[in-house]
Formats: sequence, C-alpha cells, structure tokens
Amino acid sequence: MTEARKRIVIVPCSGIGKTYGTVSREAAYEVTEDVRPDDTQLVALSLLVLGDEDARAAVAACPAVTIDGCKLACATKMVKESGGTVAREYAVLDVYRRYKQFKPQGIAELNEGGHQLAHALALEIGAAVDETLGQDAPATEGAADA
Amino acid sequence: MPDLPKKKVGIVACSGEELPEGTVTRLAALRVLEQLRPGDTVTICLPLFLAGGEGDRAFARFYPTIAVDGCDKRCAARATEQYSGKPAASIVVTELLSGQAPDGLGTARRLTPAGRQAAETTAEAVAHRVDELLGKHWDRRAGVAVEDESATAIEAQEPVEATCSCGSGIPIRKILIGGRVVNVLAATPIFEQFRDAGKTPGEATGRELLETVKLYNAVPAGEEESYAAALLREYAAHLSEATKEPTP
Repeated sequence: MTEARKRIVIVPCSGIGKTYGTVSREAAYEVTEDVRPDDTQLVALSLLVLGDEDARAAVAACPAVTIDGCKLACATKMVKESGGTVAREYAVLDVYRRYKQFKPQGIAELNEGGHQLAHALALEIGAAVDETLGQDAPATEGAADA
Repeated sequence: MPDLPKKKVGIVACSGEELPEGTVTRLAALRVLEQLRPGDTVTICLPLFLAGGEGDRAFARFYPTIAVDGCDKRCAARATEQYSGKPAASIVVTELLSGQAPDGLGTARRLTPAGRQAAETTAEAVAHRVDELLGKHWDRRAGVAVEDESATAIEAQEPVEATCSCGSGIPIRKILIGGRVVNVLAATPIFEQFRDAGKTPGEATGRELLETVKLYNAVPAGEEESYAAALLREYAAHLSEATKEPTP
C-alpha cells in the first residue's frame, strides 16, 4: 500500500549560518508534524537542487509553501526552477517584523523567542494551507499565546 | 581588507530536512565552521549553486570543498560537482556512522543524544579532512593545527559566527588573457591586497600576482607567461583607477 500524496508541499530554507534559517525549518517541521500533518509534506531543498525525481514530482503535483531565511529566497527559486507552483512564500524576516515580541537567537538551538516565532509562522502557514485547499481552518492555538 | 587570498576549505552540507542524518550534517558543519576550524573554513548553501550568481557557482573551484551528505543519495557531493566543481573530499553520514547508533539518531527535528554525538563524530571527521586539505597536522596536545612538525607558531582558534555565504559570492574579474576573456576569481581583492602592501608593477610583482591568483584559479599549462603579463597589466590599470577615485 502506498501512502496517499499530501496536497501541499512545504519547502524551508536549508541555510546553516543564520537564525532565520533555523526558524524556517522549525516552522516547517511544526506545520508538517503538528499543525497540518494530514495535508502537508516536507520536501528537502537539497533534493530539488539535485533534481531528485520524487521531489520534483511532489512540487510539480502540489502547490508549495516556501519559507526563506534570507533575501536570496533559495526555497522559492528552487521550487519555481523545479516546475512547481508557489502558493505562498514566506520570508522569516518579514514574519519577524509582524511578531517583534519574539526575538529569535541561536542556530543549532533556538531560544524561546525563536520557537515562539516559528510557532507563530507555523500557524500562519496552517491558515495559508487551508486557504489554498479551500477549506475552513480547524481551531488552532493563537499565535499571541505562543 | 578582503581576506580572500588565504587558503580556506569550503564545506557544503546537504542539510537534508527530511532525515535526521541531514540535521547531523548541518550541525556538524556548523560545529566545524564556528568552533573546530573557524579560521580555515567557509560554507555556502547548496541551493545557491542554482539560485545564486556566477560567484556562488565558482565556490568549489575557489575553495577545496568537502561535501557532507546524510545519505547515499549524496545530494551535496553530486550537486556540487554538477554545478560548481568536483569536491575535494566527500563524507556520508550513514557510511561514517555505520553501526554506531543502533538505537537511532532521533528525528530530523529533534536529535537524540546519540544523534548529537553523531554530529560531533561527523564534525571531527570533517575537521580532519580540513587539516588534510590545508596540509596541516593537528597537534592533539596543544589542540591546534600546526603547519608542519617544526612549526611552533600556534594559530588562534577563536569561535566565530558561521558565515553562510548568502549574498557574498566570490568576486570575479574578466581579464583579457592571450586574446580571450577569462573569468579570474578573486583578482580584485588580490589587487587590493597588493596595493595595500605597496607593491608596484614590475616583473617580480607579476610573478607574485600569478602565484597568488593560482591559489584560486587553474592556470593552463604553457599559459603562465601570458597570465602574468595580463595580471600585471590589469593590476596597473587597477592602481590607476584607484588613484582617480575622489577621496571623501
């Protein structure tokens, strides 16, 4: 039996040296594991760079939500290069501007502010997933309570 | 002053977000970049080979590069070779750790203590390859890299912030050499370093320029003289341009 394909792919930044890259990944994990696990699947950016068939097929078949850690927007560019459709793109810096009370620090390990920012972003992405799929959002914990 | 002419080793981690081994590669690379070999290593995000510019794609030609992959798909090694240059070394976490973490590494999101130990083991393997590539030996008593067995100088190993090379592509200068335009990596920062050192155009400077440029560029056999002449001409032009720039 094969697993049913998820309907939205989540593609985070794979940056190593910046806090925002870590926030992007943490948000992606939260969306795919906690917030909308039934509707989303995570696709690794490195697979798209290599041109992996399964990864390319996933982004070709499903709208993507991209999360970029810096202005170079590698995740967004790679999804487009791979023939995918970006339903919604997020830049962590812009998200931070909306939640300045959460000050992210750390790369290997995020501080509490980083986790809160990732959580707030994950909730926004959850709503974007629902909007993209045209369905009502399930009740979720509010970002302000993160 | 740019610090480009110093030889450094590039590290490209797959950073695969789907697998715990991908997280291991990312944490290992970070450990090397920030703590184990901060002065000797640089990194680049793998996607920049496609999403970035020409300078980004020159990365693996500019730096001897170690690809660090989580699994046998070897995305980092293969994509680096495909888009930039053949890595000087390749490490695959699943091969390196074969049988060492029987209870698993955890998840891509949360590594277990065994997973964190795997990152440490991988980082040490990467650092060892860095030393090999730099031609250095690691003095375990002193905890520092030394140039050779007779060297007594100890390099400072201050922790630094890992520099993701986002937005900091390697500078390229187009130079007419032997009747064709050649992209020469790092030529301009090398010229600036020579200017700051007070080096004037001349035969000796031409040879020195050539040797420094060869650290980062492959000079075809039999073309050294034309390269030296072109570099000297370009350096003279660079000095002339610099003197024309208005001072604030």
